[in-house]
Amino acid sequence: MDRNQIRKWLRAPAKMANKYSLHAIYFCTGCGIIEVPPVITARWDAERFGVIPVATPRQANLFLITGYVSVKTLRAIIRTYEQMLEPKYTVGFGSCPINGGMYWDSYNTIKHLDKYIPIDGWIAGCMPRPEAIFIAVTHLWTLIDKGMANGYIRYRENYEFYRRNQEMVLGKLDWPPLYSTE
Amino acid sequence: MVAKVMQIILSPVLALVVGVFFLGLARKIMARIHWRYGPPLVQPVIDMIRLFYQKSVSHGSVFDLGLILSLAGSIVVVLFLPFGQMCPLSNSGGLLVILYIMLLAPLGLALSGGQGANPNISIGISRKLILSLGYEVPLLLVLLAVMTHYKTISIIEVVKIQQSTGWSIISFPLFLSGLSYFLILPAILGIRPFDISSALQEISSGPIVEYGGKYLALVTIEHAFALFISIALFVNLFLGGGANPLIFFAKMLVVFVLGLCINAVFPRFRIEQAIKYLWKWPTLLAFLGLIITLM
Repeated sequence: MDRNQIRKWLRAPAKMANKYSLHAIYFCTGCGIIEVPPVITARWDAERFGVIPVATPRQANLFLITGYVSVKTLRAIIRTYEQMLEPKYTVGFGSCPINGGMYWDSYNTIKHLDKYIPIDGWIAGCMPRPEAIFIAVTHLWTLIDKGMANGYIRYRENYEFYRRNQEMVLGKLDWPPLYSTE
Repeated sequence: MVAKVMQIILSPVLALVVGVFFLGLARKIMARIHWRYGPPLVQPVIDMIRLFYQKSVSHGSVFDLGLILSLAGSIVVVLFLPFGQMCPLSNSGGLLVILYIMLLAPLGLALSGGQGANPNISIGISRKLILSLGYEVPLLLVLLAVMTHYKTISIIEVVKIQQSTGWSIISFPLFLSGLSYFLILPAILGIRPFDISSALQEISSGPIVEYGGKYLALVTIEHAFALFISIALFVNLFLGGGANPLIFFAKMLVVFVLGLCINAVFPRFRIEQAIKYLWKWPTLLAFLGLIITLM
């Protein structure tokens, strides 16, 4: 930690702590999750950047959506995202959440994930290498520094839009809205 | 009088600092044993700052009060433990009081977690209580042997006698009790092979599954205190305490690193395997030590 960083810590402790303590919720949505075990274990060791997997959404603030999102998984993803505590960051991993990828004409997967939950950053590729996760994390640091990783604020402000899109795919949702929609 | 008040304020703070340092050290040493670089030593502090700034969800008043109860219990136990020459509440109670108040922390956490109404919490709590049933038996036998051997219930007296006659872990009958305490230490700390109650992969980290934000930070602080208490008790009872706090913390560090090496290489027990182990070897050793002490 150099002197420059100490000044940053004193000026904005919340921002810096959010940067260096990204706890990722360990939620396997698709095939991309196979890239995560090497990242968190001895080969690539994400813990040196403060990124560790946690078991529950309550303790997490980073949500990696790894791979294609089927309609059934979308329901679980939305519930998990809504249970996480603010501030929270989402990263879409692989080309399938971006635009459907190789499942673009599948009847059972959704094409654009950012219609349903807000995404702070994308990692393109099929599959992205584990190093790409580190690049995403460093980009996320920059975004947090500049205050641009504001997905959770966008979710709150445009909740009506997101909820409408969710209901369009999933039908009637069996949980109450997170924010009031008036 | 002023010195006493200063000690009462200072010793929980000191215990907290040492406990949090141990948490950071644990992650670093574990990483090094895994051939990883590992997080910085201050990583638990960074995590706690982050958690304190996060929004948090409460599950009712018992959820809050149980957590406060367990924190208060831990802080009170720290006041009764002598470290170095520091012991704020030296003349009141002794080992018996420590035994009673040590129960407050897990009970408070169980009470608080029960309000969360998550099935993982109830599984975790029941596992934790079964595990404590496992290690309380040898622990009580060990403490009984120590109290009988030194003919006192005061932990200060135990430390004083040891400083004149040598550590009790290398004296003959208490050697068995000390070994037994060391064997159940991982169970008391809740580290592998006894992390059954907080198993990340099986029951989503067990009792703390519903804690987030400030609550999780408080649970981490409570965990740091629990770490400090069980190791400090071992150092006081068997390694002769310390002439000053620095030597005391050095002894604690050695015990903790030994525990970590066990933590790093062993897989997790199932609950009935843990009970079988705890009621076999440590209990046998503790019982033998008690019998020899009584004779």
